[in-house]
Amino acid sequence: MRLLALALHRLAWFVPTLLGLLVLTFVISRVIPADPVALVAGETATPAQVEALRRQLGYDRPLPVQFVDYLARLARGDMGTSIFTRRPIVQDLAHRLPATIELTVVAMVVSVLAGVPLGVVSALWRNSPLDHAVRVVTVSGLAIASFWLGIMLQLLFAMRLGWTPLNGRLQGFPPEAITGFYLVDAALTGDGPAFGAALRHLALPAATLAFPALATLVRFTRAGVLDVMQSNFVLYERAMGLPRPVIVWKYTLRSALTSTVTQIGLLFGILLAGAVVTEAVFDWPGIGTYAVSSILQSDYNAVMGFTIWAGTIFIVVNLLVDVVQTLVDPRERAT
Amino acid sequence: MIDRRSWLVAVLALVLLAVLPSAAAAQTRFVFANESPYDTMDPHAAFDVGRVAVRLNLYDGLYRWLDNPPKLEPWLAESHTVSPDGLTYTFKLRRGVKFHDGAEMTAEDLRYSAERILAMKKGAAALLATMIAPGSTKAVDRHTVQFTLTKPAAIFLAVVPEVHVVNSALLKKHEKDGDWGAAWLTSNEAGSGSYQLSRYDPAVGFIAKRFAGHFMPWGQKWIDEIEFRTVKEDNTRVLGMIKGDYQGTGGYLPNDQVKRLREAANVKIVEQESMRIKMFQINNQRPPLNDVHVRRAISYAFDYDGFNKDILGGSVERNPVPIPNNMWGVPRDVKGYTYNLDKAKAELALAKAKVDRPITIGYLQGFSQTEQAATVMANGLRKLGLDTKLTSEVWPTMVERMKKPETSPDLVVYWISTYYADPNNWIGEMFHSGQWGTFKASSFYKNPKVDELLDVALKSTDRKVREKAYQDAARIVVDEAAGIWVYNTKYFGPWAKNLEGIRFSPIGNGQEIRWVYYAK
Repeated sequence: MRLLALALHRLAWFVPTLLGLLVLTFVISRVIPADPVALVAGETATPAQVEALRRQLGYDRPLPVQFVDYLARLARGDMGTSIFTRRPIVQDLAHRLPATIELTVVAMVVSVLAGVPLGVVSALWRNSPLDHAVRVVTVSGLAIASFWLGIMLQLLFAMRLGWTPLNGRLQGFPPEAITGFYLVDAALTGDGPAFGAALRHLALPAATLAFPALATLVRFTRAGVLDVMQSNFVLYERAMGLPRPVIVWKYTLRSALTSTVTQIGLLFGILLAGAVVTEAVFDWPGIGTYAVSSILQSDYNAVMGFTIWAGTIFIVVNLLVDVVQTLVDPRERAT
Repeated sequence: MIDRRSWLVAVLALVLLAVLPSAAAAQTRFVFANESPYDTMDPHAAFDVGRVAVRLNLYDGLYRWLDNPPKLEPWLAESHTVSPDGLTYTFKLRRGVKFHDGAEMTAEDLRYSAERILAMKKGAAALLATMIAPGSTKAVDRHTVQFTLTKPAAIFLAVVPEVHVVNSALLKKHEKDGDWGAAWLTSNEAGSGSYQLSRYDPAVGFIAKRFAGHFMPWGQKWIDEIEFRTVKEDNTRVLGMIKGDYQGTGGYLPNDQVKRLREAANVKIVEQESMRIKMFQINNQRPPLNDVHVRRAISYAFDYDGFNKDILGGSVERNPVPIPNNMWGVPRDVKGYTYNLDKAKAELALAKAKVDRPITIGYLQGFSQTEQAATVMANGLRKLGLDTKLTSEVWPTMVERMKKPETSPDLVVYWISTYYADPNNWIGEMFHSGQWGTFKASSFYKNPKVDELLDVALKSTDRKVREKAYQDAARIVVDEAAGIWVYNTKYFGPWAKNLEGIRFSPIGNGQEIRWVYYAK
């Protein structure tokens, strides 16, 4: 019941939050001194020619009129078209989403599967050489710039060792998509080589994304486990003679993971909104690079469309994090 | 025990396998790594170097720029005539040219294509619209198209290659809400070019297969399939060339990356002088830069040799005038400015205006070489005792600022590329006062004598008259230090070592692949 109330409360705020975001993005994109109409008209266009194109595209209308028109179309599921390509924004986003989602999911799986156990182990053997080594890894993960890491991984694994491809989602053009998730599509069609190829192409960008995420998860897990290990109920369990693995993996971890779960959710949301640098280094055809080129060109509709996507993701992810928190932590259910 | 019948079947199978044609020989492929995304396949929506591969490989025009120095070669047109008043251009078209869908190309397709460009107001429209009006282009007969100019314009023929011909019947079929088929063409093609589109992904690039029925004869060898792929990072393009993932990439890489590629065993660097001037625009309207002596002082304060030879390792050619060295119209007697602080101080002493505020120097974010040039300039000005302030913007924002004298920085450093091979592309569009409001004319320079010379050059079809006019205009502009011209770019094009037939032109940058083939 509490969960339902929580979900409804969050969903009720979804529309006003998104609306506020849209207003802010709309105004900022219109007032910054970059004119996409002039870019489209070309570098040799005179002011008169630019204004003629502006009228043709409807960007000469007052801003409130443009915004209301945009909202009316959005209510019908129409995010408009790109000033530059004339392609529907919905089509562009839908085309690129699978690439970002697939990369993010793989990166998060790797960082969770590696990060949580490392955090636990680091806490249990606190101040041991293992703990120190793990902390070097976590500090590196947070300090190293992802573009540098990506390039170094390319140099080592793609160029020197030849174990992985250099960039892209697949060598050349992809086969016709079923879901757009190459691992899923390959599994559905039973295409082993395609599955292997997709996985090899995912390796370096996923590792680049996973490393800082892993570092964050290790730190939060370690801190959480250390904190819980000090508590009275753990002391009681030790006194009762429960085996250490049982204390740690059955009782301690559940309490210690509440903050880690929050971080997993937030990281997932951040990455889904577009891992721009990683996508740029590896030419990953996802949302991140689309967002950057849209912003640089001031492609109004594309910027708004990306904002809707990113805003929705954060709202949904935050809701899911709260739901999972409530499920994991009985204290949340009791309040 | 295998019976007789099974043996017979097996033998028959073996015989058939032996006599049947063997599997088709492997097709040759070529992959080009491109910095810019191919976000649209519409040849009339873009007029930039970044997406030129679409226009050159999938489409044809009346004429085509080839080789270096660039020559205008008949392409879809067999010939043309110009009326004595310079207003009417009549082109006779080749017969039997086919679009990729098999339809025959006629004069109506030319007419439609010109009208489409003007109606869409994108790409080359801004340039064409200064010369032809909507509705003025006529299909005189099935193989004759006529353009009537609004005023004589000597550059019309130089610009006409940008009228890339589209299949009008195909586009009319896909027209929606009067959009000239734009929504459809952005992800498809309607051309007659050497290659035919087979795959397109706006997030990846495009693949095209050889169009065997192209009107221009193919050589003995060719590339069967071309792929142009978006690879944003310089480093990734370079590594990909070394690894062999790509067989070509853009030729304006940083010097250190070119050095890496020279050392790769499977890469060769094709070196050509291009037509792409690096320069500082000076805001001639803003005090104290409206004083010619201040501008001359600034011109003497830039260390040209230090920048070109030391920082850029001698990979560029000093270009002291506002027209590329290798273009006609350059006054060869003009040596331009040198780095000379004594002369700079002498000019400052003559200036009536006092330089009592920081000189703002704008450069482009993401283009480190512009930052380097701005820093060298700032260094020189500081040695004169002048204060400076560096400011950077991304390209779209800088273009916007440069359109008005009030918002443009005092100096802005960038490149002027070749949109068409005519001096007007540089000096005409930069220094005619009628061009104010375009980013190229952000010098806001105004000299009635120069305007007159440029008008003469634009109107006359006599090459000698035009050449003298551009030379005289260039002399004045240099003498008045309306801008600072640093170098002409060299093209260092990385290509796979076993590729031959590459034909570089400053318009196109070697990205027309129909000439290219694998030597072995």
